[in-house]
Amino acid sequence: MAKMDLEPMMKPKSVAIIGASRDPDKVGHVILQNYVNAGYQGKIFVVNKNADSIMGFKSYASILDIKEKVDLAVIAIPAPFVPEALEECGKAKARTALVISGGFAEVGNKELQEQLVAVAKKYGIPTMGPNCLGIMDPRSRSDTLFLPTYKLARPQIGGVSFVSQSGAVGSAILDMISAEGFGLSKFISYGNAAHIDEVDILEYLMGDDSTKVIVMYLEGIKRGREFFRIAKDAGKKKPIIVLKAGRTNAGMQAAHSHTASLAGSYETNIAAFLQSGFTVADDLNDLLYYAKVFESEPEPKGNRIAVITNGGGIGVITTDEIAASGNLKMAEFSKQTVDALKKTMPVLVNARNPLDLAGDADGKRYEDAISAVMQDPNVDMMVVVTLFQTPGADSSVASKLIHYKERSDKPMIGIAMGSEYTQIHKLMMESSGFPVYDSPAAAVKSLSALLKYKEYKQSH
Amino acid sequence: MQLMDYVEASSMLDKYGIRSIESRYVSSAEQAVKFAGSSPIVMKVLSGKALHKSRSGLVKLDLRGKEEIGRAFAELEKKAKSLSPYKIIAQKMAGKGIEVIIGGKTDEQFGKTILLGLGGIYVEVFKDFSLRICPIRQIDAKEMISQLKSGDVITYNGKNAKMLEELLMKVSKLLSANDRIAELDLNPVILREDGYDVVDIRILK
Repeated sequence: MAKMDLEPMMKPKSVAIIGASRDPDKVGHVILQNYVNAGYQGKIFVVNKNADSIMGFKSYASILDIKEKVDLAVIAIPAPFVPEALEECGKAKARTALVISGGFAEVGNKELQEQLVAVAKKYGIPTMGPNCLGIMDPRSRSDTLFLPTYKLARPQIGGVSFVSQSGAVGSAILDMISAEGFGLSKFISYGNAAHIDEVDILEYLMGDDSTKVIVMYLEGIKRGREFFRIAKDAGKKKPIIVLKAGRTNAGMQAAHSHTASLAGSYETNIAAFLQSGFTVADDLNDLLYYAKVFESEPEPKGNRIAVITNGGGIGVITTDEIAASGNLKMAEFSKQTVDALKKTMPVLVNARNPLDLAGDADGKRYEDAISAVMQDPNVDMMVVVTLFQTPGADSSVASKLIHYKERSDKPMIGIAMGSEYTQIHKLMMESSGFPVYDSPAAAVKSLSALLKYKEYKQSH
Repeated sequence: MQLMDYVEASSMLDKYGIRSIESRYVSSAEQAVKFAGSSPIVMKVLSGKALHKSRSGLVKLDLRGKEEIGRAFAELEKKAKSLSPYKIIAQKMAGKGIEVIIGGKTDEQFGKTILLGLGGIYVEVFKDFSLRICPIRQIDAKEMISQLKSGDVITYNGKNAKMLEELLMKVSKLLSANDRIAELDLNPVILREDGYDVVDIRILK
């Protein structure tokens, strides 16, 4: 199949919303409202034959009446009318289409879906959906998600593109991402994958310069061989993190009835991912953990980790995780580092890895420790534990960490667990590009994945 | 799907440089004795009606000398009567070593796949196997081995690892080149210090 150009969908200069409505309960209303609220800079056209104007926009009876070029046609009308509307999009030479409406193969209405695909193919109009949330690009401010912004926060601009067949998983993850400090490049929820499918999306994102990391939630892969062919190239170009639903037979059956897609055997899918250098997630949380580390961290030079902590116990747990990771190990500090630490640290601090700065460690002590350790040639990556419950740990610790993070060419991530006071500092650090994890296990598995991917790229 | 004739399957492997253990069909005890020469042999009943040969007592191991071979042949022939059509195959005894299973199948989505696991009950009980999509390269073969929990058992010496990597690549090549193979089982393959023996072959086409 020819490569589908999704650029006009992600960065449309003009959008036609077919099924825009005055009724706030209608999906078409929310979509129009969101385009307005997001400050979308392109042209908005409203198509609804039962109205003269909606929210101040002139309403056209058909997309054919719009005399200007439409880059993206968003279709949110009852399913039986969708093929005809798409036909009109084709005649109007709209460059891409996105069908929000449900009521197709996912409810057994395969015939209607086939009709839709036939129209898309006839006019060569890349069509996403049906039965999907659609796309969001915070750079172009194109946003077809029919969920009000007060319900679903939109993440900041960044390098992670998130792809989900399922709208529910997609929107939950999107909301979770906005609570993390990393930003989004594209959000794509492609529903029934009737025309545009995961292969087209992967191919597009592989070539998209603003996408640094690709995160995928997949239920089924329709074109296995093509997917594998693209995946092998994509995996070498950028980190790809994937969660595949249907690990068990029960899960697989649920997937069948859910998106009417053919879930291939889980193991074979995983084989294709591993062979392509993808990072395989076991859980939704993993997707965020891995996305975070790949978005912000440079490639590690090696596998030796330094752990700096203000809590001895967490240092030990982190050390355990590192030892059990399979590919990471604890660094041994150079003599120079040990000498520097001996000069700056109080007597009760042992100059060894894990470096326990003790419960009264303040910004100054963290600064002295990090500035020595980050220069150590025996250290490839750093994990900095900050328990903000301790007397010395406050905002000055967070700002020192941010300061040194910006100057480090080695991966450096944090661990902090706790409630509000911790969360404030976590957000402060993360929005400055310092990923913070809520457990040693999550932090260490993320660094382990980072190293594994680097090794994959070297050996393949 | 239909089971490929053993000797045909064996010569197919041969074309890809995969050596299976020396075998031939025998229709009498005399033929078996002659085939054995001075080495110990194994005799098996092959029939589409018997999938689990060893569980049904259709395999006789480590047979030496005219008398033992003759007795075993008679016994197998008797048991096999109800499994007609059948054939009796004689094979040279494999050396001792680590048993692995190498498999292949055609996946609806991705096409040919290749599987590796530690032999015997381990693959099934511990689900300890690795899978790749064909064709595989050396690095993929290497990762197939290291991905296994039992990887260290299989490659207790470095020579074994190299040999197995090459074998996996050959099997992958065979799978990729032969569309008509639906499933393949080389089980067990015995890895020795100085080589390997493919002891049993099942190819479904």
